[in-house]
Amino acid sequence: MWQLLLFNVTNGLIIGAFYVLMALGLSLILNLSNVINFAHGGFLVIGGYIAYTITPYIGFWGALLLAPPLTAIIGLAVERVLIRPLYGRDPLYSLLLTFGLAFMIEDGTRFIFGPQGKPVTIPAFLAQPLSNELFFITGYRLFMVAVVVIAVALLFLLLRYTRLGIRIRAGTLDLDTVAALGINVQMLRSLNFAVGIFLAGLSGVLAAGQLGLEPTMGTGLLMPSFIAIIVGGIGSLPGTLAGGLLIGVASGLTAVFFPAASEAVIYVMMAVVLLLRPRGLFGEEGMMS
Amino acid sequence: MTSHIFNPKLDRRTLIKGAAALGAFQMASPFIIQARGETPIRMGMVDPLTGVYAAPAGNEVMGAKLAVAQMNAKGGILGRQVELLVEDSANDVGTGVQKARKLIERDQVNFMIGDVNSGIAAAIAQVTAEKKILHIVSGGHTDSITGKDCKWNVFRVCNTTRMEANSVSGVLFTKYGKKWHFITPDYAFGHTLYDACTDDLKKLGGSVTGNELTPLGTTDYSAYLIKARAANPDVLILLVQGSDMINCLKQVVQFGLHKQIHVAGTQQELESLASLPPEARIGVWMFEWYWKQPGIAGVEKFVADIRKVNNGNVPTARHWFGYTSAMTFALIANQEKTTDAVKLAAALENFELPDDVKLQPNKVYYRKGDHQLMTSAFVGEAQSKGKDDAEDLFRVDEIVAGDKTAPAVSETGCNVQWPS
Repeated sequence: MWQLLLFNVTNGLIIGAFYVLMALGLSLILNLSNVINFAHGGFLVIGGYIAYTITPYIGFWGALLLAPPLTAIIGLAVERVLIRPLYGRDPLYSLLLTFGLAFMIEDGTRFIFGPQGKPVTIPAFLAQPLSNELFFITGYRLFMVAVVVIAVALLFLLLRYTRLGIRIRAGTLDLDTVAALGINVQMLRSLNFAVGIFLAGLSGVLAAGQLGLEPTMGTGLLMPSFIAIIVGGIGSLPGTLAGGLLIGVASGLTAVFFPAASEAVIYVMMAVVLLLRPRGLFGEEGMMS
Repeated sequence: MTSHIFNPKLDRRTLIKGAAALGAFQMASPFIIQARGETPIRMGMVDPLTGVYAAPAGNEVMGAKLAVAQMNAKGGILGRQVELLVEDSANDVGTGVQKARKLIERDQVNFMIGDVNSGIAAAIAQVTAEKKILHIVSGGHTDSITGKDCKWNVFRVCNTTRMEANSVSGVLFTKYGKKWHFITPDYAFGHTLYDACTDDLKKLGGSVTGNELTPLGTTDYSAYLIKARAANPDVLILLVQGSDMINCLKQVVQFGLHKQIHVAGTQQELESLASLPPEARIGVWMFEWYWKQPGIAGVEKFVADIRKVNNGNVPTARHWFGYTSAMTFALIANQEKTTDAVKLAAALENFELPDDVKLQPNKVYYRKGDHQLMTSAFVGEAQSKGKDDAEDLFRVDEIVAGDKTAPAVSETGCNVQWPS
């Protein structure tokens, strides 16, 4: 039993790492622009399908490098044309817009690529488990965790040490004052949005290697990411990181005792956190009020 | 301190409203496919064109559309052209029922086809029975539809879960071993399929090491697979379908579990195998229809006809389900020269499908007593790559007739109540 629990905690951390990647992108956009990006799962799908399309020409590694920035460019265009005009309005406007956009992306993908899933093959050496005993730790899953760790580290370095990052953090706290200091807030929001969508695109490429690539893929992955943000604390990137890992482990452990509730448990966690500590585990009080 | 010009603050209530809307988003229907015309004979079709069963549902619709085109080219039904009105159930029971009611009450359809999802099919059957509409369940497998909840107006083309289990359980037991562990989708289809498999296993003298009930639409199966492996079974039986099957089988192979435990199941579909990378196309399964049947009348033409409308791809069992469902209405209405649902339902009992519709070697007929189509099971093994055709992803070893896999009517629990 202890081995089973240990395996599932480890497995939960691996799953949670993936949620973290998705949730960080969502969190960045939410924190600076107050946009609840329902289309985030759609951008994940776009990233996956771009990778699927270009893999025959440039291989898996080329696709891994190229698909996220291409997704970010599409995200940038969407932000410029559709989302920017809504910044001054009630956040419900952008929520509804991205809600509709998610449908459009899903149906558009289905129209272009068909409803049937697409087979995505990963490099053979990554498709092997570490050992018969640790069969659930495959090369690809380790690789995914490594990519997440690198992406998170780079994101934190970006936010801490670069001018763009410092402005994003300042904007998260008080965007009006940042604007009063002469910083181009529109540009700041666009770049921040692009970084968030880059992470969605990266998630899409990684997910396509492990799951079935199909138009609905993003929907099932989006909700855990939202919950990671709420559990971890809105406005806190470290909180998002902790929230993602926590719900991954909770889901994994529940599967041992009550498999049918392994998805429901993350919603229960969210409800408990909202009841007992509404700002989330690491959120700042009043951040979203 | 701030004027909030740039940053209208988002409160927590808005975020929670957003999260609730996301939940609704997973069930909502994004679009409706509709074909309207002026002809009075209308067939309604409700299938989950979005969600985990979008691919099989789309193929059922494609098969039904081909049937309608062919019947219209031959004069339609009773000399009237036929039109097919398609609605998306979005893989949601409430939506499916609402769409069925809309098709019956507003669009005045004469016949109804659907749904892939067993739960939705059963719910729609309640509506069609209430409204006295002849209804063919094209792809929902749960036993009760032609079992304890059977209805005078409801017929079914696809196999029951009991038929599926009966067709392949013996092969799996003999070939792979007697300790089975299940990964089962947590809804009507999964539950009855699990019951059927475990009944067969018990009769064969085997045992169940565990059953992982997984929510429909599960993306990550690793936790369930860890538990299954710890139970040390001889065979891991996958009962999930659609994108769940793809996600599960892909992870099974990445974990190398197929090298430690036999991996197999009951129902497998070409849509799923085609979506998997070659290394994940493994295991013994049953198909409900297969496109490669040399020498069987009509199959070659059907394959060619579907290729024309399916980007050159071959038909799957789902195409055949949709095609056969729609063709059944035309055949029986033209034979009986009426669209009266009660008369047609009575005439369909023991009605045998002709060669150019049944497209398989054995006798295929709607059994009197439970209205279940006695259709064959194609038992065999998945192939990583087709030899002569890239889409030949399944090697058929045996074609078992439907009346050999179906339990007797008296065992189904069906007791058809006809309207007075």
